[in-house]
Amino acid sequence: MRRYVARRVAALVATLFFVSALVFVVVRVLPGDPAALIMGTEGSPEAAARLRESMGLNRPLPVQYVEWLGGALRGDLGRSIQYDLPVGQLIVSRLPVTLPLALMAAALMVAAALPLGLYAATHHRRAGDYAAMVLSQIGISIPQFWAGLLLILVFSVTLGWVRSGGFEGWSSGPGPALRSLLLPAIALGLFQAAVLVRATRSAVLDVLREDYVRTARAKGVRERRVIGRHTLRNALIPIVTVAGVQLGQLMAGAIVLESVFALPGLGRLALGAITARDLPVVQGVALFIASSIVVINFAVDLAYGLLDPRIRYE
Amino acid sequence: MRRTVSLIVVLLALIVGVVPTRGQGSGRLIVQSQTEPPGLDMTVTPATATSGIVFYNVQEALVKVDRHGKLVPWLAERWHTADNRNYTFFLKKGVRFHNGRELKAADVKYVFDRAMNPETKHPYAKDYEAIGDIIVKDDSTITFALKSVNASFLQNIARAGSVIYPRETVETMKSTPVGTGPFRFEEWVRGDRIVLVRNADYHVKGLPKLDRVTYRFITDPNAVLAALKAGDVDVSLFGLGPEHVQDVQKDSRFAVIVGDTTNDVILAMNNSRKPYTDVRVRRAMTHGINKSDVLKGAMFGMGKILGSNVDPLNPYYVDMANAMPYDPAKAKKLLAEAGYPNGFDTVLKVSPQYYYTVRSGEVIADSLKKIGVNVKIEQIEWGQWLSRVFREADYDLTIIGHAEAWDIKNYANPKYYFRYDSAKFQDLFAKSEATVDERARRDIYAQMQKLMVDDAPVVWLFMHPRLAVTKKGVQGLWKDLPASAGDLSEVAWTPAK
Repeated sequence: MRRYVARRVAALVATLFFVSALVFVVVRVLPGDPAALIMGTEGSPEAAARLRESMGLNRPLPVQYVEWLGGALRGDLGRSIQYDLPVGQLIVSRLPVTLPLALMAAALMVAAALPLGLYAATHHRRAGDYAAMVLSQIGISIPQFWAGLLLILVFSVTLGWVRSGGFEGWSSGPGPALRSLLLPAIALGLFQAAVLVRATRSAVLDVLREDYVRTARAKGVRERRVIGRHTLRNALIPIVTVAGVQLGQLMAGAIVLESVFALPGLGRLALGAITARDLPVVQGVALFIASSIVVINFAVDLAYGLLDPRIRYE
Repeated sequence: MRRTVSLIVVLLALIVGVVPTRGQGSGRLIVQSQTEPPGLDMTVTPATATSGIVFYNVQEALVKVDRHGKLVPWLAERWHTADNRNYTFFLKKGVRFHNGRELKAADVKYVFDRAMNPETKHPYAKDYEAIGDIIVKDDSTITFALKSVNASFLQNIARAGSVIYPRETVETMKSTPVGTGPFRFEEWVRGDRIVLVRNADYHVKGLPKLDRVTYRFITDPNAVLAALKAGDVDVSLFGLGPEHVQDVQKDSRFAVIVGDTTNDVILAMNNSRKPYTDVRVRRAMTHGINKSDVLKGAMFGMGKILGSNVDPLNPYYVDMANAMPYDPAKAKKLLAEAGYPNGFDTVLKVSPQYYYTVRSGEVIADSLKKIGVNVKIEQIEWGQWLSRVFREADYDLTIIGHAEAWDIKNYANPKYYFRYDSAKFQDLFAKSEATVDERARRDIYAQMQKLMVDDAPVVWLFMHPRLAVTKKGVQGLWKDLPASAGDLSEVAWTPAK
């Protein structure tokens, strides 16, 4: 197991390094000049040129990259052009919104998908299975932003139970904060769950056809135990793989939903920064999100090792 | 499965159990703002998202453009000039900055010295070029000595870039603006809201009427609509399109304000690029576009058709809407004369950043097809638009709104992205800047507008209307927007019956 972990860590570091270079180059190659964006249509081109110079954007790319990477390694991601605050501080200030949102969404996703997928598989080709499949088909087909708007329409506009958007902050206690995150978490998690339902169903179905399941049943093992111990554990590898990918997609989905729900999260920070060509922030957030996805994948890899001894010893 | 269901039930019970608190009390107002400002320092950023919040609410200038577009004394209680070269301003006494210090003439001198210093990168440095010397006579008297007569001088010191702030806060204005306005800046929660609170020491008695204003940044128009209907915001200043406004108009809980602005939406032609170098082609484009169709298609008929770059709020406005009317036959004839009897192909670059650009483009493309001009619409992102179209003039056609008041000056600048280079127009504009006599200046403005129509450097489409929505009971908002500001000092809730 130790060698397995060491290999994965090495891969993690290499990936992060590659991601940092990619993020930097892509962000710089994008057409559009941050200075011109700050000046808009009202400021003069001369003023924009002066601003560009003072922002250090006229220096050679490799110099800028090395400087940025050096800073990033020391935990300094630069300063936001738009907000005039350290990028690290901005990212940290958005985490109390995005992190709980992603966690709630992930919890909802798993809580909905596993039982539903399992139910569909164990009721294969019966009414319950078809109902679960129709539900998940609807979930897959509905774009998340639209789901978000529908939820707002029902729960905020019509019923008036929750605010239509915005974030109260954690300072007034967990209640209001969680309430602001509930609808977006449902839109994000439940609709993302649709894919996981299908993955769970087919993985479990595959295992149910295995001989050892038949043997277990023939031995008279109770159905609960057959499913819980013999089937689910063996089906978990493909399920964990899909869930890992889904977690990454949750981050992407958060970017859209944070706009719909006007949440001051990481996604909205990124979107605003891209529009304003706030390069240090775009780089910082992209690096942060990429790192989180790489770390999630790392965790998924480790989970494989835990779930399946064969992988550990390869 | 059962556990999931019970989890959802518990969560829902949690929500229903606690009724969310709503923002509006008698003195509180929640305003939706479409974009988050790129910093709050108006001496650095020309963004309307910044001035829409800070200008007139937090910071003010010596002279103010009032709700009718008139210049009125403000931080200066009056001014005097005998020769139109030396302007002496008498500052209002007892005006205090939000940090408690009294406003003095030395502050005014500091502000303009700094604006004129190229090191500070002031976005409107050109506006102060006419100023030669600034002399502080005493704590409340200051004289501006101009190098030459400049008719726009008062207009320029009334702009957002000319606000008066205490010199000791200059380093922190980007995040914490301090001024003399009716509201003090309280906090900016990045990505979520900006909060202003009542300035109890405000120099105008009885104002402001509100205790607290919260700007919430909601970009998506559907989300704005939902927030209004759910009662989470009281006012939407920008961000709702005409289609949403029509929807809200049917709802008795809301009042809709449709007013005039200085935002002229134009179809710009690159005058330095063929075939638009030929004035006959440019005129044909104007005759070939059915502007009322554009207004219907893009704006649901809201707004006003324009014929030149002077908007209806400008005191020198001449109605030119019908000076070069829709006439496809004439357009075809002009194209034939210019050597394009079968029309030509052209590319229209627009940025979907502003919803009306793409919509107008589609109607225009359809209109121009009838005179043989095939328009290919290319959508580009705003950052690219600013670099490629606005800065490098790498385009045939584009559509954009010019929101600045008195922006007729752009047509006198041959390097501006229209690349309109007319010595006659430049002379007229220079003359208008040096003419202080009201009647003579009005006459020059009329000549300029006529010349613009004849030269047709761009096709003026329509004035983008102010479309604001408020909850019933909110009163005192400006109907028209003659300045790029969102003055809330006189806004109040009607007293409960």
